Amino acid sequence: MKHEAYNINKIIEAIKKAGLVICPSDTVYGLLCDATNEEAVKKLIAFKNRPPGKPISVFVADFKMMKDYVDVNEKQMSLLKQLLPGPLTVVLKSKHRVSKLLESEKGTLGVRIPQHQLINKLIHEFGRPVTATSANLSGRSPHYQVETLLKQLPASKKKLIDLIIDKGKLPRNKPSTVIDLIDSNLKIIRHGDVVFKNTKTFISNSVIQTKQLGKYIINKSLNQINNKPLVMIIEGDLGVGKTVFIKGAGESLGINNIVSPTFVIYYEYQTKNPQVKNFYHFDLYQIQEKEEFKYLGIEKLLKPGNVLCFEWGEKAGEIINILRSKATVIYIKMKYISEKEREIICEF
Amino acid sequence: MRILAIETSADETAAAVTEGRKVLSNVIYSQILTHAKWGGIYPSLAKRAHEEKIEPVINETFNKFQISNFKFQINDVDYIAVTQGPGLAIALEVGIKKAKELAKKYRKKIISVNHLEGHIYSSFVQNSKGNPKINFQFPYLAFIISGGHTEIVLFKDHCVYEILGETLDDAAGEALDKAAKLLGLGYPGGPVIEQLANQVNNQDFYHFPRPMLKSHDLNFSFSGLKTSFYYYVKDLAEKEKIKKIKELSSSYQEAVFETLEKKLESAIKKTGINRVIVGGGVSANQYLRKKFRLLLKKYNGYVLFPSYKYLTGDNAAMIGVAAYYKAQKGMFIKDIDQLDRVPRLKLGHPSGDLASI
Repeated sequence: MKHEAYNINKIIEAIKKAGLVICPSDTVYGLLCDATNEEAVKKLIAFKNRPPGKPISVFVADFKMMKDYVDVNEKQMSLLKQLLPGPLTVVLKSKHRVSKLLESEKGTLGVRIPQHQLINKLIHEFGRPVTATSANLSGRSPHYQVETLLKQLPASKKKLIDLIIDKGKLPRNKPSTVIDLIDSNLKIIRHGDVVFKNTKTFISNSVIQTKQLGKYIINKSLNQINNKPLVMIIEGDLGVGKTVFIKGAGESLGINNIVSPTFVIYYEYQTKNPQVKNFYHFDLYQIQEKEEFKYLGIEKLLKPGNVLCFEWGEKAGEIINILRSKATVIYIKMKYISEKEREIICEF
Repeated sequence: MRILAIETSADETAAAVTEGRKVLSNVIYSQILTHAKWGGIYPSLAKRAHEEKIEPVINETFNKFQISNFKFQINDVDYIAVTQGPGLAIALEVGIKKAKELAKKYRKKIISVNHLEGHIYSSFVQNSKGNPKINFQFPYLAFIISGGHTEIVLFKDHCVYEILGETLDDAAGEALDKAAKLLGLGYPGGPVIEQLANQVNNQDFYHFPRPMLKSHDLNFSFSGLKTSFYYYVKDLAEKEKIKKIKELSSSYQEAVFETLEKKLESAIKKTGINRVIVGGGVSANQYLRKKFRLLLKKYNGYVLFPSYKYLTGDNAAMIGVAAYYKAQKGMFIKDIDQLDRVPRLKLGHPSGDLASI
């Protein structure tokens, strides 16, 4: 067992020899092995104490490789192209080209295209799927740090590991969301942080998830806040969750009392984030004519350090050029999938 | 103690002269007719109209305020009261600016009032003859239900409040207005829904969800109900929607009101207080009043509503009365130049506090 710096050839070498590799991923630290090698998979299952019959998903490099290992029809593919790569595992009918131990009893296989340079490159070069399971024992929580992971492992387990790629502390992203596409209807089996396509299309099926997404998006977008204000323009029908999304964004800045500003057009909040001064929550629902924007004094608010969120962003057309010229602008479109589920598209 | 009160938190440009709990003169210029044309608060009008109207409204307040032939002037009031928040920043600014200007010119002290404080006191506001004569029996549960707010407050003593529960998203009045919009009814939609619901005896036909009833707290959320209604109406053909408009209105209103009623009942049980005061635009709804009266009868208590219709909406009279009790406690603005609007002012925070955090 060796601690290694980033070295793809070494990983491939270990995997080819039916080894187990602990490696960072776009979610948590993962345990990688050759998914087509029965011996390697057995070792993996022994390591995880995974009860037999419980499936384990695999990383594939791209859609082409995905098609080689699972059945994907056109409809499923068009949906997946919107969602992947990213922390989303898709359950599809297996073509039984990986170790059977990884499949479910029904013959399905979980596949995912990661959004992680190292792993993507690795699978491309390796040319076959590798396992995409978290580097923890079954039933334990996943790890974001190699150190804590090793502390928990008994010596007998440590022996099974051939290589560790230690990239320090990973951001606390949740394990991937798992969706089942076997029936034509999308079914979410496990919730990760969010579901996304090129970090753009997200699926939320609860208020909590929509809030999380709000937090995620704003945190991702604050890097320019010292130079430019941040504007989030949110479109979507009544009741789709626009205010919920903004509540999430606000909460990540320490604002916990956001309510609908419909009645008064906008509310102003002070944040607890030292980088961010004021947080403005606009609701353009009542706005009918461009003349009205003049009186809102929006230009005065477009200062570095300020965050401005606009609900009913489709009405922001009149001021879009001003916003674009002075601020970092993010567009968010929210759509109903069902009464509970939402598709949320973010354009940065 | 005479107070000139100014209120410009949203739609209405309002001024009043009060003496204790009595309203000597009251003027409200409502932009609602102008707004009805477009539907909703019209921010340009909110600011422009407030700016244009504030002076005439105050002048008219004094013109109406005459005893025999003696005409009062600003010099004849002791203090100036103004709404500091919550509300639309650019609207609040107009009132505060005016209050500061007058305070400096006439050397008066300013009392800043929370708009919600005004609603809480609105049930105790008296006409110029001193009616109704209701004595304070603290503590109360105060329930503010309007287009911008839904809040249950423990009203312990004069100017002492504790928020027990509030809306996490939409206000009850807003939920009604938005449903009205989905049904193609005008703005504000609440009163139209009330009428339509009345025509079918306020029955519940569709059983829309009652949000947050299982939450074990006193907070409200109307966004789920809104979604559910949106989904229901979306799938209806236009003809069907029109045919069922009374049933839809009534069922939706019932979902909103029953939620309000159940939460109020929880608050009564939790606190053991069976004296309730209700304020805000939605408290003008007669069916809601009946519902609440029945509820309080069950708990051997009583519920008070504003005695005059104008007191349910935004007005300066209630601001003046709330200010009277603040003045008695010496709650004046120390440095007038420091007075600023607080759009998300929270009840119970000292004025000038960074309550928007």
